[in-house]
Amino acid sequence: MLNNIRWLVPSNAGSLTCEEKEIVVSSRIRIARNLESLPFEMKMKPKDSQRLLELVKSIIEPNFKGQYIYMQKLVPLERESLLECHLISPVFLKADRPAAVFLNEKGNISIMVNEEDHLRIQGLSCGLDLVNISSEVFAIDEKLDENLGFAFHDTYGYLTSCPTNIGTGMRASVLFHLPGLVYTNEIDKILKGAVNLGMAVRGIYGEGSEIKGNLFQISNQHTLGLKEEELIESLTKFTRMIVDVEKKTRDVILSKAPYEFEDKVLRSLAILKYAKLISTDEVLNLLSAVRLGIGVGIIKDIGLDTINEIMLVSRPGNLQMHFGELLEEHDRDIKRAEYIRQRLTTPTNS
Amino acid sequence: MLCDDCKRKPATIFFKDVVSGKISELHLCVECAQKRGLVSNKKMSPIEMLQKLLKEKNAHDEQIICPVCCLSLAEFKRVGRFGCSHCITAFASNIEHLIKEIQESDRHIGKRARPGEGKGVEIFKLREDLKKALENEAYEEAAKIRDRLKILGISNTEQC
Repeated sequence: MLNNIRWLVPSNAGSLTCEEKEIVVSSRIRIARNLESLPFEMKMKPKDSQRLLELVKSIIEPNFKGQYIYMQKLVPLERESLLECHLISPVFLKADRPAAVFLNEKGNISIMVNEEDHLRIQGLSCGLDLVNISSEVFAIDEKLDENLGFAFHDTYGYLTSCPTNIGTGMRASVLFHLPGLVYTNEIDKILKGAVNLGMAVRGIYGEGSEIKGNLFQISNQHTLGLKEEELIESLTKFTRMIVDVEKKTRDVILSKAPYEFEDKVLRSLAILKYAKLISTDEVLNLLSAVRLGIGVGIIKDIGLDTINEIMLVSRPGNLQMHFGELLEEHDRDIKRAEYIRQRLTTPTNS
Repeated sequence: MLCDDCKRKPATIFFKDVVSGKISELHLCVECAQKRGLVSNKKMSPIEMLQKLLKEKNAHDEQIICPVCCLSLAEFKRVGRFGCSHCITAFASNIEHLIKEIQESDRHIGKRARPGEGKGVEIFKLREDLKKALENEAYEEAAKIRDRLKILGISNTEQC
């Protein structure tokens, strides 16, 4: 699964321009779609779910390059890894009905089949890239609609299982790294502003997840009454505003306490480079300081791609996939430290 | 009664306080109560709003049924999920306000799916026709409708 994360770790640097990547970690667009011809999830019988899997497979395989994976065929570790790479949702992971996920060749699109809706088409990209990733998602949407016939209502738009998704069925989200605003306690004001503009704020793993490593996910709350482009434009504008404020805040901290700032960044890097035991949460917090250090130019010999890769591979499932073995928590902490030491000391870690 | 603070809007929230044996009363509108920090002005998320609105039960909820998937309005209110693409039409007049409140809009203006009526529309109509035929005791017609429903893959052709 780990070769399927190019959206976050570009394999050849430069092929992806990740705008504002010092502050915006990633952009995501997901749309919910249902077939008109089948009952929705809550009324589906096992044979309906099975039929949907085969029907979607028969349309996807000739039209798109990638893998169509049956969830039942994966071992729990592989499923966990897909979740940690944001390619499937927590709801999807837990579902006990037949389900499948399509991952495209580029590794930036995933289509969940038999989630809460028949299809959840999702596109991921690095930095601020909502416009490009949405056009990729909508191209797939149109191709699938041609062949599958999506449920659509004149007044209420695309129909979904839950009334909170009807209309565009679209959720656009941006993952921010905002240590400056957290440090200066300005973050609450910004987050309140987001909520007042009709946006939701969550942790890195979506709904119900904790805020960790100064990472915040902001997305639209409503799906009805605004055009897709308008939603994307308003989130993009808001993102640029946050980026601007975070940059200014970083400059202020740096000018007021340059030694303390640099000390915090370099100590964090030192721990990552030399620790023998390290937990996932500690990695997230230390990476936050290192990411900040790279952003303001204190650290020059480590790239943000390396940081993104470490953030992802350090997750429990991915780490075990990386080493190809099942590991207990304590052993994971040892192996995690080993992997990070190696990753930060190899000469070609840009 | 008008709000004690702004003296413009009607007071809908009443506070009683006892300070050193003296009872003081305050009559406020929602906005002024929020300004004083007496009620939370945290905006509800669409999910929270949905959960709140689904609690409004009606006596007829069990009888309002989607003719295509047989989901009743009562069941929809229990789980908060539609059963098929026709529930929204079947429940329309009962859930318009709910959609408007959770979405802060009542109309989709974005991208449109490829036009074309799927077979669900026909099933919807046939179910309604079947109901009428049975009510009028037109059994021959009812049998024809059942045959058509079976062709469309609806094995349960009994009434919901």
